[in-house]
Amino acid sequence: MDLTGWLATPAVEMASGKLIGKGFDVSEVDRTAWDWRLRAFVYERVVASGRLPTAAESAVVLGVDHGDVRSAYRRLHDRHALFLEPGSDGAVIRMAHPFSGVPTAFVVRVGGRAFWANCAWDALGIPAALHRDARIEATLAGGEERVTIATEGHRVVGQGEFVHFPLPFRRWYDDLIET
Amino acid sequence: MERWCRRRGQAVGTVLPVAAVWSLARAWYGDRLDPAFRGRSAEQAEAIFRGVGLTGPFWSL
Repeated sequence: MDLTGWLATPAVEMASGKLIGKGFDVSEVDRTAWDWRLRAFVYERVVASGRLPTAAESAVVLGVDHGDVRSAYRRLHDRHALFLEPGSDGAVIRMAHPFSGVPTAFVVRVGGRAFWANCAWDALGIPAALHRDARIEATLAGGEERVTIATEGHRVVGQGEFVHFPLPFRRWYDDLIET
Repeated sequence: MERWCRRRGQAVGTVLPVAAVWSLARAWYGDRLDPAFRGRSAEQAEAIFRGVGLTGPFWSL
């Protein structure tokens, strides 16, 4: 996928189509379409800045009601399209896979930007999602050792590392933080 | 790995070489930034696993 044009498009315009514009009324648009457009906006923001936007930040940038954004974030969480910070009541995104909203043991450097990944798999997921080469700096489970892995095109360059998947697929959504 | 799992009271799950996880990551996340992405069903997820050679109960619902 060529992201060149997409990344060059201003955030609001990119996410808007006919649905999101400065100060539009969420109640007048199709709710599901709005939710997915908002999801696209969230990803555009994290790609551009390395940070996942809070509901308050999205509301300001998009010129919409804060409560409408929180409601949409909650619906996207229920669809597993985003994962909210527990207890934040829709205000804070913890994960928009493969990106993490909080510092983790996995830092992914792409070009001049740095991203946090949720886990080892997601650390590889970031260059996969961006279709860009990356350098991954990870602290291994247990915290005693750090490793660096690079992705170059379809190759991954490391020292023969392995990745542990603690839970089977059927249990991934039981506890995403633990998974 | 076993020590880490033991400390956390977890059983060891599945361990894959990083090259295999890179293949999985490209298949799983390659379309994640597409604004048209709408998630995927369990069947679609299992098809992705199969496509990169991951089969068996661990990778199934």
